[in-house]
Amino acid sequence: MKAVLFMLAAVLAVFAGPAQAAKEWGIDGEEVAQFEAKAVDVLCELTGDCPPNCGDGKRQMGLLTDDGTLRLALKSNTSFAGAVLDLVPWCGKRVEVDGLLIKSANPITFYMVQRLRAPGDEQWINARAFSKAWAEANKEKNANNWFRKDPTIKAVIDEFGPIGIPGAKIPKP
Amino acid sequence: MKEVFKRLALALAMTAGVALGWSAAAQAAVSESKRVSITGEIVDTWCNVTMIMFAEGSAHYQCAVWCAAGGIPVSIKDEDENVYVVLRVEGEDTNVAAPSILKIQAHRVTVDGDLIERDGVKYLLVTQVANDEGIVNLSHEDVGIQPFGK
Repeated sequence: MKAVLFMLAAVLAVFAGPAQAAKEWGIDGEEVAQFEAKAVDVLCELTGDCPPNCGDGKRQMGLLTDDGTLRLALKSNTSFAGAVLDLVPWCGKRVEVDGLLIKSANPITFYMVQRLRAPGDEQWINARAFSKAWAEANKEKNANNWFRKDPTIKAVIDEFGPIGIPGAKIPKP
Repeated sequence: MKEVFKRLALALAMTAGVALGWSAAAQAAVSESKRVSITGEIVDTWCNVTMIMFAEGSAHYQCAVWCAAGGIPVSIKDEDENVYVVLRVEGEDTNVAAPSILKIQAHRVTVDGDLIERDGVKYLLVTQVANDEGIVNLSHEDVGIQPFGK
């Protein structure tokens, strides 16, 4: 009976574990990386020019690990959106993140935040703060296809066209 | 009385020493930079580096505007494939969806600025956009609009 229970537990552990981890994208040089760090304003960290609260969403954010490594937080779970609004509430504080560390051959290294939480918390927060903020700011129910509806983007595309050249002939799909 | 002054002087000297030490430590935390002139295409860092879609030139202009407006850092990619993440443009105080760089996605530019390299990233603080050639990579002629079409 003990052997059966042990095997059952082993099988459950194998199948339950990966479901909790960050989602892999199959990008060259990516690795799933979960770690604790301090959320910082990257420009402040590099130059000493430090506005209050990491620039309140107007400055790119990074993750400073205990060994002094600075990781640029480039992307969140919202389509076509960065991770600034996910990390600003943690400005100057420790946060645990889960996501993808991407070491490109270019070479450039950066981080995609997929979920985050206070160290020691059980509950993860999905890194989709941009979606929530965009829906609230634009009085929409959700941020589905936000990039097609955003007024700032619409104004740029109206002015320059979808290929960035005003008046250019648009290729058929 | 002399002894009191001596101790006071010693205390002041120690305080000044500690303050100077702190100051030096604070300065050491600021990364070193060097002056550079970079010529390359303004790119959407995420799509371009990850190569999850075609992300160069006019074909990707619309998507690059989406990503820049969404707060993904914008970079300049030179002919040697170096990617420089732009953290400041000519004194602008924001580097998230910065208006000055939003419209000129996919443009070929030459910029002067300060380069700071740290932990696998080349950060660029642009002090002057010396030349903007507009979009010279007319990739839409070969691949249409990427992704999704118009």
